Amino acid sequence: MNSFVIAAIVMLLAAVPCGIVVVRGTTMDAVVAYEAVSSIVFMVLVLLAEGFRRSGEFELPVHLAVLLFGSGLVFVRFLERWL
Amino acid sequence: MTAHGIVADVLLGLAAAVVLVSSAGILIMRDAYQRLHYVAPIAVVAPVIVALAVLVQSGWTENSGETWLALLFVVIGGPFLAHATIRAARIREKGDWRPGAGQSGAGRDGPQGRPPERKQPGHAAGERDG
Repeated sequence: MNSFVIAAIVMLLAAVPCGIVVVRGTTMDAVVAYEAVSSIVFMVLVLLAEGFRRSGEFELPVHLAVLLFGSGLVFVRFLERWL
Repeated sequence: MTAHGIVADVLLGLAAAVVLVSSAGILIMRDAYQRLHYVAPIAVVAPVIVALAVLVQSGWTENSGETWLALLFVVIGGPFLAHATIRAARIREKGDWRPGAGQSGAGRDGPQGRPPERKQPGHAAGERDG
């Protein structure tokens, strides 16, 4: 286990407070916490790919980075208009 | 351990600290406006530090190139997403995002708790088409 994997585990632990906000907060609080969790998962994917030396898995954070932006916009647009 | 490894470890520790502190801030703050301030370090600062750590560890390789490409998307999209989130929160709370509009709190999350009536152009009550 190298430092990249340890950093990924620490960042996953940091997602726990955001999960609490998602469960217990209002709808907008949950969206904000969701955006934070998405960014944390993006970094975790990068760290695990580097930590385990798997070049093919570096494509996952690239896709997630694009989808993160699109999904976030869809969420806030729905919350703004209909939900 | 080489100098590259030490620098990468320091950068990773810094990124983890940024994420931990910001995550605690998201938990502690009172509303979405305050919480969103703590998303920016997670969405922009920490990914830059992680990408620097990957760059220091493995140099200019395909791996670090893909990391920086992903980072480009995140850094460009993050501020837009934060703006859209604040806009949605304000519309839900006030009924309109513009300053001075919706002072009565007519939004869904406002004091009255009812969504504002949306005017459809050309389809208002009593207005006939043509």
